Amino acid sequence: MATRKPVLPRVGHFASFGAPGVLVYVCFVLAPILISFGYSLTNYNPFHPPVRFVGFDNYQLLFTDEQFLAALEVTTILTLIVVLVPNVLGLGVALLLDRKGWLYNALRSVFFTPVILSSVVVSIVWSRLLDDAGPLNNLLRALGVEHPPGWLSDPDLALYSVASIVCWQMLGFCVVVYLAGLQGVPAELLEAAEIDGAGPLRRFRAVTWPLLAPSLTITTVVLLISAFKTYDYVKVITNGGPGSGATATIAFDVLQTGFDANHVGYASAMAVLMLAIVAVVTTVVLNFLRRREVDL
Amino acid sequence: MTRRLVALLVGAVFFVPLYLVLANVFKRGDLIAKEPASLPLPPTLANIHAVLTRPDGLFWVSLANSVVVTVSSILVLTVLSAMLGHYLARSRKRWTKVLTLVLLAGLMIPPQVILIPITDVLRVTHLMASLPGLILFNVGYYVPFGVFVFSGFVRGVPVELEEAALLDGAGRMQVFWRVVFPLLRPATASVLIFLGVWIWNDFIDPLIILGPGQGTTITTGIYRSIGQYQADLGSVFALMFLATLPVLIFYLALQKQFVKGLTGGATKG
Repeated sequence: MATRKPVLPRVGHFASFGAPGVLVYVCFVLAPILISFGYSLTNYNPFHPPVRFVGFDNYQLLFTDEQFLAALEVTTILTLIVVLVPNVLGLGVALLLDRKGWLYNALRSVFFTPVILSSVVVSIVWSRLLDDAGPLNNLLRALGVEHPPGWLSDPDLALYSVASIVCWQMLGFCVVVYLAGLQGVPAELLEAAEIDGAGPLRRFRAVTWPLLAPSLTITTVVLLISAFKTYDYVKVITNGGPGSGATATIAFDVLQTGFDANHVGYASAMAVLMLAIVAVVTTVVLNFLRRREVDL
Repeated sequence: MTRRLVALLVGAVFFVPLYLVLANVFKRGDLIAKEPASLPLPPTLANIHAVLTRPDGLFWVSLANSVVVTVSSILVLTVLSAMLGHYLARSRKRWTKVLTLVLLAGLMIPPQVILIPITDVLRVTHLMASLPGLILFNVGYYVPFGVFVFSGFVRGVPVELEEAALLDGAGRMQVFWRVVFPLLRPATASVLIFLGVWIWNDFIDPLIILGPGQGTTITTGIYRSIGQYQADLGSVFALMFLATLPVLIFYLALQKQFVKGLTGGATKG
């Protein structure tokens, strides 16, 4: 009875296998992006009808809006720190822990635990720790520092404190990815290099580091994207402050403008511009890192 | 020997904030503010007891909401993304390549870009401030990740297996669920773990979609209790501890698959 059915999928096959997933994606991701773009061309504010079409006025306004430009700067600084620091420290810790034994296994778990914590939990713990009257400053006072820094209350410092907290949470992720990458480095290659007279630094630069290229790609892209949408930390730790927006990221500004101030049209323009920036930066970085992988 | 000492030292410094949570969960409320870094001596379960027996039932209500949202979301996501991932991995048509790219682009969309219109979509469909609304949003938003993982793994399953089963007269659904899906267990594990942890820990989406009413999840519950009960730090720490416990157990039970899933993506790029 067995008649041969086509193995490769047909359109009828799509209806049952593909369509449900695609449908939810279209309804809850693609359509909202289009709606967002639509809103961004209006002065939509649910409490101030009527809605008027304003073309690209919102976008034009963004480039002279000091609050938005400040948020852009905050986001850029935060992203640079969050991409660089966990990558460098994560590689260092991974090299340190790249050994067998219960101690190294236990330490891997210690570094990874923050990754599975909610950013809200991480934010609350760190804001206690860095409070002006918190344990860290008490320790500094006990050590004789008369005026310890206001980690979260000093507008010049708060952004760096928030960035450090994000780095602390993301470090374990980099450690695990780099550890897995290190396992892929063949011992024979390292031995051969050693026989050829290469010291530890030389072996790392010539053998290990190039073979870690795929690990670098994945950590960098994941860090880049998650840094760009930083919202939870800012909301819970500083609520955008201290002062006027010292830590307000674009992601934070979009929701403040859209939901608290109800300027939906303007917030949508900000969101669309944000998406465009993420898309361009991610594509460029991904291409650059991928090319590095192929070259080797 | 020095390597061990350095590793231990670095680990200890890194561990300090985690210690702070653990120590203060079991410390008397008045001592938390006074000596936050001291050992919890004598240890007390009063904080945990206080959270579990709150008159407004905040912990139990948000726990139930978090469980319902997380479990339903990851079950639906696994089914939908496994089937879609399989379809896309096996298809050779040009338009499905485009579809794959469009889906992968979804991996980098910040939730802020879609949250504002989502609330309008949900309001029109009367799903705003409801658990089904949040679950549907989660499914749509995380489908790209599921498809990414599953389609990668499907490519490792020989197509001949499916052909043989089809020749034996099995339907496509049967072939997929009986033959292919069991072979995708590592992919299923990492999708369940990753999405389980992300959705459980999610803050912004439940905050906005469920709104301020009774519908809090465990993370939004913590956020609200820190505002309302600033003085009772013991309860806040206990709540954070209890909220993390399920994820921690889930993670420890499936640790191996978790790391495999993480690195499977890394090596395949």
